[in-house]
Amino acid sequence: MELTGDAAWLVDHLDELAYRTFQHLLLATIAVAVGLALSFPLAIVAVRRRATYAPILAVSDLLYTIPSLAVFAALVSVTGISLLTVEIPLVMYTLVIFVRNIAAGFDSVPGDVLEAANGLGYTSAQRLWRVEVPLAVPLIMAGLRLAAVSTIGLVTITSILGDGFGGLGFFILEGYRRSFPLELYFGAIPSILLAFAVDAALVRVQRAITPWARTQAEVA
Amino acid sequence: MNAVDLEFRSVTKRYGQTTVVDALSLKVPAGKICVLVGPSGCGKTTSLKMVNRLIEPTSGEILIGDRDVKSQDPIELRRGIGYVIQQVGLLPHLTVADNIAVVPRLLGWDAARVRQRADELLALVGLDVARYRDRYPAQLSGGERQRIGVARALAADPPLLLMDEPFGAVDPIVRERLQNELLRLQERLAKTIVFVTHDIDEAIKMGDLVAVLKAGGVLAQFGPPAEILANPASDFVARFVGADRGLKRLSLRRVGDIEWLPVATAKPGDDAATAWARIGSDPFPYLLLVDENDRPIGWLDRQRLPQNGTLTEELVVSQSPLLTRRTTLKDALSQMLGADVMAGIVIDENERAVGLVTLEQIVAALREAS
Repeated sequence: MELTGDAAWLVDHLDELAYRTFQHLLLATIAVAVGLALSFPLAIVAVRRRATYAPILAVSDLLYTIPSLAVFAALVSVTGISLLTVEIPLVMYTLVIFVRNIAAGFDSVPGDVLEAANGLGYTSAQRLWRVEVPLAVPLIMAGLRLAAVSTIGLVTITSILGDGFGGLGFFILEGYRRSFPLELYFGAIPSILLAFAVDAALVRVQRAITPWARTQAEVA
Repeated sequence: MNAVDLEFRSVTKRYGQTTVVDALSLKVPAGKICVLVGPSGCGKTTSLKMVNRLIEPTSGEILIGDRDVKSQDPIELRRGIGYVIQQVGLLPHLTVADNIAVVPRLLGWDAARVRQRADELLALVGLDVARYRDRYPAQLSGGERQRIGVARALAADPPLLLMDEPFGAVDPIVRERLQNELLRLQERLAKTIVFVTHDIDEAIKMGDLVAVLKAGGVLAQFGPPAEILANPASDFVARFVGADRGLKRLSLRRVGDIEWLPVATAKPGDDAATAWARIGSDPFPYLLLVDENDRPIGWLDRQRLPQNGTLTEELVVSQSPLLTRRTTLKDALSQMLGADVMAGIVIDENERAVGLVTLEQIVAALREAS
């Protein structure tokens, strides 16, 4: 059977859908990974040196308030149309989520656990990696989910930087420009599904790495 | 390692102008339990934490064996000292076995030895190895957590244990059981233990030596509990130990220290006539029904005993608290009063009924004490 009209367009563009989905995930993953890596030491400093807590959060809050379109436009004159121009704003917007959640994760470690860990003879590095980080994982993962979903949303905007970026946002922008709703939905619906799927996957990861956190309800 | 001497030499801790511990000097011989007791703000916890250098003294020396703690690396020092705190502080993300294994792992023991040691300690604190090993702290009761806390402190077999209100967060019944278990363990382990509490009854029960501290970290009296109860060194100590000193001294004597009355027993299936022959003329009109292993089932009352036929469990009219040789007379008294009975049954290690202790005997012991 020969496909015609919309159906034929959809079938013709399945390969491109796969490519754009991959690009979308890649752009988001880079941003989230870099954001997490930058936020981790910032959050540790904020928690360890209380005086720095408010300023660090204030800066990350401030970054969050800058409109994304303005940042992309401003960066083009500095870094050109490049991966850097795409990733800098995406990373910037994850910072506020990560710093807050990681700091809250460390703050959630009970005082008696820290006292016991000191008394047992953990060095401060051992205490950080073997006690505090594992116990902060539930809140860090909550931050990761939030950052992942919001970054997946923002990646669509990077389509304004040209055909080389944007992930599924490419279809949204092109569909809008050509007044072709099918193409617009071809980008919008998969990007929403992608966000749902990534969130669900992260929930499973969290459950797998924090078996201790779901035992509260099972007390014999 | 078994145990070491511990000595405070004129240890003082000041925060700015405030003195928290004031020239504390005391010596705990190896293998003894020393209880630091006093009202809040008396510096007892601060004194304890200076031993493993969680807090550094302003002046003075603390010697473990003959080594000043200041000369040792604090991390190494802490790994060599057992530490138990009130809220236990189990690591919520580690299983029971991994919690117990914390210090052995920090010390770099190999995996097989670590696992074996964790199992050994679970058994030592009376928890079923297979059932508890892989549980998380959130799946344990308060009493179980506290037992794991003790097991963790004992894991690397340290000669010295520091216990900061270890039983303060559990209910009185569990607390009493944990106290008894620790005393029983201590008979075998003979560690040097420093035990902090604000509860004078606990201090008297647990301590071979009791240090009473008062506000500002001043040592008010130091000695065996009997001596502190008999001769309080000051009005403060007298007030702190309370007006019921005589009653408190009951907790220094145990069921094993007094002579028990014999207990007449019978077994289900025995002939009622034999039972009559045994208690028919006795002024104490009860017969204890025991099972085939001599474990107590309950009391038979002469008034309700049939003239003939066989004895059955349905004839049991009442129960008595079960006491062991280790039960203090104070606990025996409170159990009898609690159960509203005149006597407790003494059982041996195999739970066999071996004697009877009456309220009258305890009152007599009370009279001797005061």
